[in-house]
Amino acid sequence: MGPDGAPSVLNGTVDTIAVVVLLAEFAMLRSTLLRSQIRLYAAQSFVVAVLAAVLAFADNSYELLILAALSIGLKVIAVPVVMSRTVRRAGADVAGAGSLRAASSALIALVAAGFGFFAVGRLGLQAHGLSPTVLAVAGAIIMVAFVLMTVRTDVVSQSVGFFSLENGVSVASLVVAAGMPLILEVAFLFDLLVAVVVFGVLIRVHHAEQGSLSTSDITALRG
Amino acid sequence: MGLEIAASGVQALQVATVALGAPWVSGVIARVEAVVQGRHGPRILQPYYDLIKLFGKESLRPAGAGAIFLIAPFVAFACYLTVPLLIPILTTFGLPLGSMGDILGGAFVLALAAFFVSVAAAETGAPYAQLGASRTTTFSALTEPVLLFVIFTVGLLSGTDLPYKMAETVTSSASQLVRPAHLLASVAMFLVVLVETGRIPVESHRSTNELGMIEHARTLEHSGPYLALLTWGSQMKQMILYALLLNVFVLPWGLASDRAAGSVVWAIVSLLLKCVAVGVVVTAIDNSFSKLRLFKITEFIAAAFLLAVIAVLTLYLGGG
Repeated sequence: MGPDGAPSVLNGTVDTIAVVVLLAEFAMLRSTLLRSQIRLYAAQSFVVAVLAAVLAFADNSYELLILAALSIGLKVIAVPVVMSRTVRRAGADVAGAGSLRAASSALIALVAAGFGFFAVGRLGLQAHGLSPTVLAVAGAIIMVAFVLMTVRTDVVSQSVGFFSLENGVSVASLVVAAGMPLILEVAFLFDLLVAVVVFGVLIRVHHAEQGSLSTSDITALRG
Repeated sequence: MGLEIAASGVQALQVATVALGAPWVSGVIARVEAVVQGRHGPRILQPYYDLIKLFGKESLRPAGAGAIFLIAPFVAFACYLTVPLLIPILTTFGLPLGSMGDILGGAFVLALAAFFVSVAAAETGAPYAQLGASRTTTFSALTEPVLLFVIFTVGLLSGTDLPYKMAETVTSSASQLVRPAHLLASVAMFLVVLVETGRIPVESHRSTNELGMIEHARTLEHSGPYLALLTWGSQMKQMILYALLLNVFVLPWGLASDRAAGSVVWAIVSLLLKCVAVGVVVTAIDNSFSKLRLFKITEFIAAAFLLAVIAVLTLYLGGG
């Protein structure tokens, strides 16, 4: 703790980076173009990698740098490239579809973020002397990602929402268990890779069958 | 330590700096803007010449416009002279009348000025002035909650609602600077300043198209000395908001911490330079984005609101 109840410079920096990740999540919710959504996901993943690097230098645990490099390679370059190629191939819609207007979905997300904040903040978890704020922000990121997946009715936004949810989980795991064995962290990353493949296939199949990326057509299949 | 200036003298200097410096800041910003756009642009002192010219002109009153039309410019000008008493323009310590009102009080005085100008615009019966008045009122009602949450953040951070205490808190240590609450509130405040000073992406301030105007349209019916006061007032409002953003949130360095003549003079010079720096940033935004459609402005303000709410949330959990 610094003077006047302010967190230390490291804590403040880590908190701020986490808040930037949260803001990127809100920006994803706001952006309608699928392309810009994927770009925002890449930017968000980059910020998470920066967080890993900052923690690596703060903790002298340099294996986190390997993790940062891996997540840059995978989440900043590979996943966005695969996703944008899928969208370009589908060629059907440029913009995603939402069931709510921008302002209402932002308000709902704000309420959900507040819930995430308080739900996690009340647990009072403390790790490595880092402030509980980061965990609370991670909770908010996950909640907003859920809102993104819920209010959007196109496959691409929903999968981007799922991937960015993984970013929220990464933030939490980086802070709580920075000393976690590298192999586990890498395993998480490869989980994500599996998810990308699964979602890629799903998007292809859905587009081939429905001729669009919107999931609202699927509702018609109800028996 | 050399010459000391009396506290009331510093107080008077705060008001004088804003009153006399505001046209200069506007002039420099206009010049920078012209250079960015590849024009030569007006002289830096042009705003002063404009004011002198307007003070020498006759003034006309639309038929049917009442007393408020004539009083409003004076009330607004008086309000803009009052606010510099309440906020840290030159000093980090409170001055004699500084505790007369807190940050909410300052916001109220600014709102009073806006209210009078809007009522005067409604008084004219002219369509564009009324359009400006109704738009200004609508959008200031929307920016109000943002401002409130920013003020809450300031209050929670510094444990007081006196603006100069906040400046003290920010300069106290680097850890205060990197707290997310402080950064978020600063960005939200910057967006509010963009809205309130009528800049892109909300309003194009150089435009002469009445349908695109918001605040600017309100003064279309005033002329002569009345228009001079309103123009001068809006230049002062811009400088007050810049000073609030700079000295309370972003760059509270360069403020005088004692009443020595040297540090007060340096505070004046550094404030003017800092205001120009903000002006350059605003100009850069002005020239790289397009104006939002009128109905998209609410989304812009909603983004500012989001930042301010997250600032309070991160703070409320302690630490943030």
